[in-house]
Amino acid sequence: MVLRLAAIPPLVSTVVALGVLLGSSGDAPSLDVSWVPGLDLEFVFQIDSLAALMTLLVSGIGVLVFVYANGYFGPTAAGTGRFATTLLAFSTAMLGLVWADSVWTLFVFWEATSITSFLLVGHKSVDAAARLAARRALLITAGGGLALLAGLLILADRAGTTRLDDMGPVGGTAGGVAAALVLVAAATKSAQFPFHVWLPGAMAAPTPVSAYLHSATMVKAGVLLVALLGPALGETDVWKPVGIGFGLLSAFWGAIGALRHTDAKLILAWGTVSQLGLMIVLLSAGSGKAVFAAVSLILAHAVFKAALFMVVGEIDVRAGTRDISALSGLGSRMPLAAMVAVVSGASMAGVPPLLGFTAKEAAIEAALKMDGLEALVVGFAVIGGSVLTVAYTVRLLLGLFGPSDQPATDIADRRPAMAFPSALLAVGSVLGYVFLGTVNSLVRPAAVQVQPEAEVYYLLRWPGITTAFLISVAIVVAGSTVGWLVFRRPLGVPSPVGAGVVDRGTDGVLSVARFVTGRVQHGSLPVYMAVMAMTVIVAALPFAFDVEPSAIYLWDSPMQGVLAVVVVGAAVLTSGMASSRLGAALGLGSVGVAVSGLFVVHGAPDLALTQLLVETVIVVGFVLGLGHLTRRFPSAKAGWRLLRLVVSVCVGGAVALALASSASNPSGVPPLEDLTVAAVDEGGGNNLVNVILTDVRALDTLGEVVVLAVAALGILALTESGRSRKEEVA
Amino acid sequence: MIRSTSPVAELGVRAATPPALMVGMFLFFAGHNRPGGGFAAGLIIGAVVALRWMVGLRTTVVPSQLMAAGIVIVAGVALAPVLFGSVVLDQAVWSTSLPVLGKVKAGSAAIFDIGVSAIVVGLVIAVIDGLSPATTSAPEGQSS
Amino acid sequence: MSGSLIFAIAGLSAVGIYMITGRSLSRIVLGFALLGHASVLALLASGGPAGDPPLADRTTATEVANPVPQALALTAIVISFGLTLFLLALARRQQELTGDDLVEDDVEDRRIASQETP
Repeated sequence: MVLRLAAIPPLVSTVVALGVLLGSSGDAPSLDVSWVPGLDLEFVFQIDSLAALMTLLVSGIGVLVFVYANGYFGPTAAGTGRFATTLLAFSTAMLGLVWADSVWTLFVFWEATSITSFLLVGHKSVDAAARLAARRALLITAGGGLALLAGLLILADRAGTTRLDDMGPVGGTAGGVAAALVLVAAATKSAQFPFHVWLPGAMAAPTPVSAYLHSATMVKAGVLLVALLGPALGETDVWKPVGIGFGLLSAFWGAIGALRHTDAKLILAWGTVSQLGLMIVLLSAGSGKAVFAAVSLILAHAVFKAALFMVVGEIDVRAGTRDISALSGLGSRMPLAAMVAVVSGASMAGVPPLLGFTAKEAAIEAALKMDGLEALVVGFAVIGGSVLTVAYTVRLLLGLFGPSDQPATDIADRRPAMAFPSALLAVGSVLGYVFLGTVNSLVRPAAVQVQPEAEVYYLLRWPGITTAFLISVAIVVAGSTVGWLVFRRPLGVPSPVGAGVVDRGTDGVLSVARFVTGRVQHGSLPVYMAVMAMTVIVAALPFAFDVEPSAIYLWDSPMQGVLAVVVVGAAVLTSGMASSRLGAALGLGSVGVAVSGLFVVHGAPDLALTQLLVETVIVVGFVLGLGHLTRRFPSAKAGWRLLRLVVSVCVGGAVALALASSASNPSGVPPLEDLTVAAVDEGGGNNLVNVILTDVRALDTLGEVVVLAVAALGILALTESGRSRKEEVA
Repeated sequence: MIRSTSPVAELGVRAATPPALMVGMFLFFAGHNRPGGGFAAGLIIGAVVALRWMVGLRTTVVPSQLMAAGIVIVAGVALAPVLFGSVVLDQAVWSTSLPVLGKVKAGSAAIFDIGVSAIVVGLVIAVIDGLSPATTSAPEGQSS
Repeated sequence: MSGSLIFAIAGLSAVGIYMITGRSLSRIVLGFALLGHASVLALLASGGPAGDPPLADRTTATEVANPVPQALALTAIVISFGLTLFLLALARRQQELTGDDLVEDDVEDRRIASQETP
């Protein structure tokens, strides 16, 4: 029920996005919300063409995922309320990210998607593997978030604006650093090699989450980032090689991973790494055609990958496993699922008449249009990646529905809520091909927004016998052969090396933290105090080079000298007599009186008066409060006492040094005359000190009063609790 | 132990109370021109209360209520200028003549000081009341 | 700066630090009060030499003590007053609960320290 209700908000935003996309004329809708006006921080949203396309994906697939989750969890599952809330929160964060038009807004929602996806991946919180995977995903994507923040700071500074749509190209070293940081952030989010290690683990999440986050939305955030910042950073030296490097490695390594695993969900996850790599290669290359192809791929990939995840989830729920080596005979037992998977898989492999075909065709065309090394590298990525994509698709489909020696797997009853959304998406892959004109009108404005040269391109339903088409045929033939061979003769499941490295790193940090905490915070208050005191000593050492002896004189008046000796003597006495309460009170009282005397000598009668009164109350408090100490303390070890003595004498020396250094560097003469005039004329008083307190520092005085009140409340609470405890006992 | 029940002491304290309160009032009004102010006045009044406590003259004032009143006054004076379109903590000053004290400039700062004094008196009473061995728990054998 | 003041401040700091590194809560409160005196005096000393009280109608501006640090110091006195009393109440509560005013080691911290794995 709650999941069905939760489907309503994405449904609304889908309709709105469609309205914007198809009925749009004139300016894109936008919204500014001031956040911290003093820092120019504001939330800026704008639904331009790219944002509208992404909104359609995020919300449209969101609706289907909520319907699907309804079937996935079944009517009796616990925690669906939490699931629906977190998924909806994620969806909101994702929409915020897509709509963001200022770098700060972008960053805030980027981090929000990291956090909500952490919660979603760790949804099965009783499962240790899910918690580990969630933590890994969070650490990697949040680390990327830090890189993004740094990159955006540099970018905003260089570009002189925080608004994405009026950001001009940025170059130079700073631009290069920003480009590298942004690409690293994109790579962490879009699971690019070597940051992809979190994605396979994230398959511990419930399948609706994978279908949503790992097909249409979160992993697309990195791709979207590359698209959004391409116009600003694309001209730096770093952008193209680093972006293409990330993408190329991921396109191949992801596809190879997909060929080796037998868990169908992991195959799809690794396939996602590969497909995202392809998109990043195309976007980083940045030519009109390449961008156009990348945007088409974003759309096509979201449609077919979500459907495939949903089918795998359905198989998982109904057959009890999703390991392709354990499944058998599903082709005839789950015909609808098989059909959906074959259609979506074919779209992924780039077979006509499906949406994926036209997108892949565009990618090959784009590679053919480039020259030199770039053509070679991009062509290699597109063609090689596509061959491997066909291969793992064929292997996946054969494994799920193909022939097997094993007895047919038992399956549970059909769940319409799970079958319907995936079927709809498969139909979408077909319809996208049929109504290619409409798809064109969605994709082209979005691509033009990133790269104006994309204006002239369009998706072809039937290209004719062109070079690209021949390459495409060759890809399907070669890929199918490889896929069939691997299916016959499995490569063996690799052990997750990268994830292990990350986990060992995390554990290492934790154990170092435990070690440091154990050393630094070992539980003895006196030691903490001594450490702090020693820090003070070290901090004061630089002052030693800064003392001008002539700035120090013996005394302002002989009386001051006498009083200073009395103060120190009384303090030492206090320390010596502290074990008896009267002695302590006497000692403290005499220190206070002598300090008041110093105030008088210094010309501060206000301080003297206040100090005397305060001292009276404190002494009375001591006499009353520590009234009946009977117990003798265990005498401390002689070594510790000596250390305390040395430390405290050194602190005294450090304080003296600091004061002498401050006296040696006077910072000017106090503006006494101005103060006097201002006090009499504006403050209406002759006592400068009080005028300063009540006029100039009125807010501080207010704060001071509040501190007093809080202290008094604390005292009341402490004594009252003592009293009530006594009553209970009585 | 500390508390004296001597009638002479009690009489002395009773006699000393009015002049001490006078001193407190004097300090209160003196603040803007000479040493003194709301804080000092509050401490003096608090000390009077403490002294009376020592000779067995208990106060019936509840410290938390006194402090609450003080906070309300202080916050009120701080925020009141906002109602008149001015900034927080802005001051109004009126000049008047009072007997004995002579010409005083009373301002909203004086009302602020009343709040400060109330908080300080409350604090002192809370300390005396809370820490005194006769009122808090004193397990047998320790209160000598 | 007056050497006598420096001596008084340094002396108060040293004795204060000695007392707060002990294990007796009442000594810590006393040490805290002494450190409070030291910092107030340090504020005052950093503002310049001694002079006449800063009353606008009594003195000429040339021989007046700097009023700004005095105003700051007044706030410091009041705050340390409140804190000292609060510490007193804490010490008192500790006495009521445990019968002495010994600062115990933090058991939880000790537990973490003992299971360290470098």
